[in-house]
Amino acid sequence: MFAELDPILHSQLRLAVMSLLIGVKEAEFTFIKEKTNSTAGNLSVQIQKLKDAGYIDVVKEFKDNYPNTTCKITTKGIHAFETYVQALQQYLKVQNP
Amino acid sequence: MENDKQLNPQESLQLIAETIQKAKGGFHETGISAILWGSVVSAAGLVSFIEKYFNFYIGFDIWLIVLAAIIPQVFISIKENKNKKVIAHDEKFLDATWMVYGISIFALMFYINIVPNVSQQLITTYDNSQLYIKNIATNKTEIWRPYIFSQSSLYLILFSIPTLVTGIARRFKPMLYGGLLCLALFVISCYTITLWDMLLLALAGIFNWLIPGLILRSRFLKGKAC
Repeated sequence: MFAELDPILHSQLRLAVMSLLIGVKEAEFTFIKEKTNSTAGNLSVQIQKLKDAGYIDVVKEFKDNYPNTTCKITTKGIHAFETYVQALQQYLKVQNP
Repeated sequence: MENDKQLNPQESLQLIAETIQKAKGGFHETGISAILWGSVVSAAGLVSFIEKYFNFYIGFDIWLIVLAAIIPQVFISIKENKNKKVIAHDEKFLDATWMVYGISIFALMFYINIVPNVSQQLITTYDNSQLYIKNIATNKTEIWRPYIFSQSSLYLILFSIPTLVTGIARRFKPMLYGGLLCLALFVISCYTITLWDMLLLALAGIFNWLIPGLILRSRFLKGKAC
């Protein structure tokens, strides 16, 4: 029996965001946008979805008089990411025994 | 990057691996601090060596430039923190290591300057006596002033600690090898006179910080250009 792949993570951009955040303590919106090569609008929507799922924390503040958004993965997010990777590995084991 | 593209498990794992790699490449240090301290320590060491070797004095203690370097370092740290877009997991730990190292260097300077005088005072107050040293060649007798031998060895061992920690934690080989070389220089300095110790300090500055700093700088600029 295969574990079901988390639909929140099983999307290209959201998975990329989570993969970025798992490797760092926190990252600014501009850094994530640059590394995922995405548009600001699309990224904002996907970040909001990850936030609603409780996978990331989003802090909005002002830096040098400009709005600045910082994202950080939560414990729930780390757990979901690990479960997702384990499920992927399970699928791959069956495909390439 | 599109959002709705359906990925197969293989593609998903590939995306995860690639993105983690991209994140790793995103938090290169600017290298400016390492270049600053590497230049300052190597310049001070080399000038001290030249002064002692050719027996002349430039008019001021060249090691004061190490104290002066704190001022640009403060501005560099403020600017770097402002421009930082991402914070790595080990950042706080490494920052704390370098801060404790900075405090330890000043504590060591304090120790080297204070302990000889205090030791002499303690010897005097113990039974109101003085220790004398006699030069049997000239038959001249002088009051013995306590002295901390091979002071440079103490600096060298301190230099190696944060450099090795950073090299190991960041898997940054130039700093790892620089730190190991610094330990080797420490061993050598235990057998050499102060003249050569100055050269060893200069070498430590070059290999511990200047060269790794230049490598970090070039990586940072390359990353910025991409």
